[in-house]
Amino acid sequence: MLHTDIIDIKQKKLSIKDAEKFIASANYGASIIFTGTVRNQNNNKNVIGITYDSHDALVLKSFNEIYNETEKKLNIKNKAVFIEHAKGYLNLKEISIIIAVACKHRDEAYILSRYIIEEIKKRSPIWKKEHYIDNKSDWLKGNPLVHEKI
Amino acid sequence: MRIKIELFGASREFSKNNLIEFNVSNNSKIKDIRAEMNKYLDENFSGNENYKKILKSSSFCSEDNNIVSDNYKITENEKIGIIPPIGGG
Repeated sequence: MLHTDIIDIKQKKLSIKDAEKFIASANYGASIIFTGTVRNQNNNKNVIGITYDSHDALVLKSFNEIYNETEKKLNIKNKAVFIEHAKGYLNLKEISIIIAVACKHRDEAYILSRYIIEEIKKRSPIWKKEHYIDNKSDWLKGNPLVHEKI
Repeated sequence: MRIKIELFGASREFSKNNLIEFNVSNNSKIKDIRAEMNKYLDENFSGNENYKKILKSSSFCSEDNNIVSDNYKITENEKIGIIPPIGGG
C-alpha cells in the first residue's frame, strides 16, 4: 500500500497526522515516521530557509519504483508506505519530507525507512536552494542522477 | 524544428522564464542540445564556468518522463527537461 505526493507549500503543509492515518492498521506491529526538516547551518553558513524544486512527474515515478523494488530487494512484502515531499520555500524547522512506513516487525520497518530515504537522495530529481542570513542564496551542488538511460 | 528546454534546480538561473527555446535541425539529438546550450551560455552569460559545469553534469528527460542518453533523438515541439545534479530530502 503506497501513497505519494509532492506538496506545493503555498497550498498546504506536510502533515504527520496524514501519514499516521495512512499507515495505521492492525496488520502492522511496527511503524516509523521519518521527517526531514530545515536546519539552520550548512557548510558553516547560517541558513534561514530552503526553496525546494522538483520535477514532479519524475519524482513520483522514482517513489513508485523505489517502493516496488523493496519487495524483491528487501523481501518486505506486507507494508504501508507514505511518502510526501515539499515544493517551494520552507522556513527553519519546517518539514520537507515525510516517509512513514509500517510493517509486521521492527527490523523490516527500520530497513525499509532507511532504504527509501537513501534511494530518494540518489534518484529523485529534487533540488535545494539555500537562503542565508546575509540575503544571499545558493543552489546546493548535489549528485548527478544515477539512472538507466534510454 | 523548434524545441523547448524546461529548466530545473540550478539550471533555472539560465533564464528568467524557466524555459529556453531553440531552433535545431531535424533529427537532432540530446548531444546537439548540449552544444546549443553551451553556445547560449557563451552568448548570454559570457561562458559562465559554473553554469557550464552544471550543464555538463546534467541529465536530460524526455517529454514522456524518461531519462535519456545523449543519442536520444528529439521530436518536433518536444519539451525536454534538464536535470542538474540532485539532492533533495
